[in-house]
Amino acid sequence: MNSNLKLNRIFSLDITACISIMVGIALVLFSPSSAIGSNQGQKHVDSLDELIKMFDSSSCKECHEKIYEQWEKSHHARSLMGLNDQIFLSGYLKHGPLAVHPGQKATKKNFPCFKCHFPQIKHASDSVAAEIADAIMRGDKAKIRKLNIGCLVCHNEKAVVHGLPEAGVLYGNKEVADHSGRPVKKSPLLKNSLICGQCHGLGPNLEFETPIQCATLYGSYLHAYIPSGGTQTCQECHMKDGDHYMPPNFNNREELSERMRQALPMEVRTLAYSFQPKEGDIRPMVVVNTKITNKAGHRIPDG
Amino acid sequence: MPQASDSRSNHMVLGPDKKLGFVRDTSIQPFAPKEETIEIPLPAGINEVDIEISLRYQPRPGNFYPLHDLKKRISLD
Repeated sequence: MNSNLKLNRIFSLDITACISIMVGIALVLFSPSSAIGSNQGQKHVDSLDELIKMFDSSSCKECHEKIYEQWEKSHHARSLMGLNDQIFLSGYLKHGPLAVHPGQKATKKNFPCFKCHFPQIKHASDSVAAEIADAIMRGDKAKIRKLNIGCLVCHNEKAVVHGLPEAGVLYGNKEVADHSGRPVKKSPLLKNSLICGQCHGLGPNLEFETPIQCATLYGSYLHAYIPSGGTQTCQECHMKDGDHYMPPNFNNREELSERMRQALPMEVRTLAYSFQPKEGDIRPMVVVNTKITNKAGHRIPDG
Repeated sequence: MPQASDSRSNHMVLGPDKKLGFVRDTSIQPFAPKEETIEIPLPAGINEVDIEISLRYQPRPGNFYPLHDLKKRISLD
């Protein structure tokens, strides 16, 4: 006689955390005809097109084609687009604590998510936030796709934490003085997990009028992985050989499954026997033992 | 997965615009394997069972990424 048993181990994750993927930064050299350093002394802009232009890194592709193409396929290149090319913020602007109410114009207060998903916003006025909100509400994907975590975000904005990054300077793993008129300065942060941790999170973001909580992955790295003896950086796993694709890619289902399969090996042991709780009361029994190990440097799931 | 409330009650909430602090964490941490043992009593007379175990990553209900699938026939004989 046969019996069929099916055991499902399912774990789930909030989708908004999924979209933020643990990434890191490696050396990039720029050819920046339009790449402008973006911090100290940087002006505020009043139009979205100006802001897009300010952080446009398309000219980097001229000399760094391979890296640029890797990045173009990454979630960093579409930081406001969720799974399957959806504008993930559209729901938040319609309902909930970040909603823009009828008759109101959105301001930067409606976008605490931009702290990580579009940090360039700090160089723009509220009118730019209103423009972005309008584009989101009318489903203007072409416009929203232009808002991303481009080269300048990591190689200038986030590349220095001791003080401010210099305007007109790019940061990499080594100095490149003669770089199409724009020097590349060395920043040790580019190889450090901290650069990724600036966005891939520690916990609640309490500095906003409407506090939010998205990715907490870096907290897990600091408080679970490192104290247990972990030694690898974000970059060593997510940017092997300087790959700016920075997996995982949640839109590539097979690739994601395979990556998680490797990160979460599962062992299964089984036992079948006859249990006898009392004399003569014989009961067939199956015991299934599962053990899932996390080989990543952070909790799974998280972002 | 980490389960969050809005820190105004103990009700779990979904969405980063509402989450504010964890109340429970059932995710899998590095260096902390999750081990479970399931004991399944069978009807009398059964001497062979087929078990099927699957591990899935499920961001949303109905949207899952298969990770591991295992089928095994176990005999009590």
